Amino acid sequence: MHFSEDDLREALKRKDPGEGFTQRTMARVNQARVNQAQAEGTAPPATKKVNGKFLAWWTLRPAWTVVVAAVLLLACGIGGYQYSEYRHAEEMRIARAKQQQLQQEAEHARDQAIMALEIARAKLNHVLQHAQLQAEPSDKVRRQRL
Amino acid sequence: MNHGTRTLTRILVSFVLCFSALRGSAQDAKLQLANLDKLSAKAARVTDVTLDGSLLQFAVNMIQKIDSEDEDVAQLQSIIKNLKGIYIKSFEFDEASQYSKADVDGIRSQLTSPRWSKIVQSIEKRHNEYDEIYVLKNGDHVGGVVILVAEARELTVVNLVGEVPMDKVASLERHLAPGEKQSGKNKQKKESGHDQE
Repeated sequence: MHFSEDDLREALKRKDPGEGFTQRTMARVNQARVNQAQAEGTAPPATKKVNGKFLAWWTLRPAWTVVVAAVLLLACGIGGYQYSEYRHAEEMRIARAKQQQLQQEAEHARDQAIMALEIARAKLNHVLQHAQLQAEPSDKVRRQRL
Repeated sequence: MNHGTRTLTRILVSFVLCFSALRGSAQDAKLQLANLDKLSAKAARVTDVTLDGSLLQFAVNMIQKIDSEDEDVAQLQSIIKNLKGIYIKSFEFDEASQYSKADVDGIRSQLTSPRWSKIVQSIEKRHNEYDEIYVLKNGDHVGGVVILVAEARELTVVNLVGEVPMDKVASLERHLAPGEKQSGKNKQKKESGHDQE
């Protein structure tokens, strides 16, 4: 059998595989795997899944993944430190306010005590003075009689 | 019951009795002044002081912190350190006869116990003035003092609970106003100011 050059060109020229070529090819491949597994009596191997574009990107670029993880860790660390500082400052502020309130109450109590003793002193002396004034005239009369 | 147990029981009982007697004396010395509260509405000026428990302890601590080189402050400290309560109700009225005899008798009725002694009484019937000082005896010590000033336009009850050194109270500096006892220097400044006036 003799092939001419034109026959070869015709046989080897590019042809359009038609619509759905990829799907048909993948279906054939999967079917071949299933057939092989059935022949061997085992479950067909699962196709390797890639969960989303980002994960695929990370698996492809491990160095960047480490950098992103480090940045996230650093951010969390700084955030945690800032939060603990804020909590500490807040606790200090509350303690100071309580201390100030106690101080004010104590000062008020001191002022009240001093005022109370001042009133006690004034009334005590007032009563003693009145009693003394009442006693004095009777003493004078007694002395005059003597 | 063996001898040791009996002795221990006796000690325990006497301890409880002493404790309850002390507690009782503090309670006896405190008067119920709530019946005078109704006079607040009629009075032109009301002074109501209630200092006891933690509040008095606050005041004592604050006063103890003041510069003790000053004689008056030292005297104040020595008075207040043994006090257990300070209760004052003072009413000043614009017009006479704003309080009734029953109001005063309500106070006097609480002082009828034999432990209370009326040590001073001053009666001025022309001006309707009845001034009295009562002392609660607690052994050799004074367990409480009541100063009752019932005059035409004034009714004052001062009730000091605890060991009250009367002589020291009477001889306290005249102008013992709050804020003046911060330090000896302040007092000296004020005194020099009065002298200049």
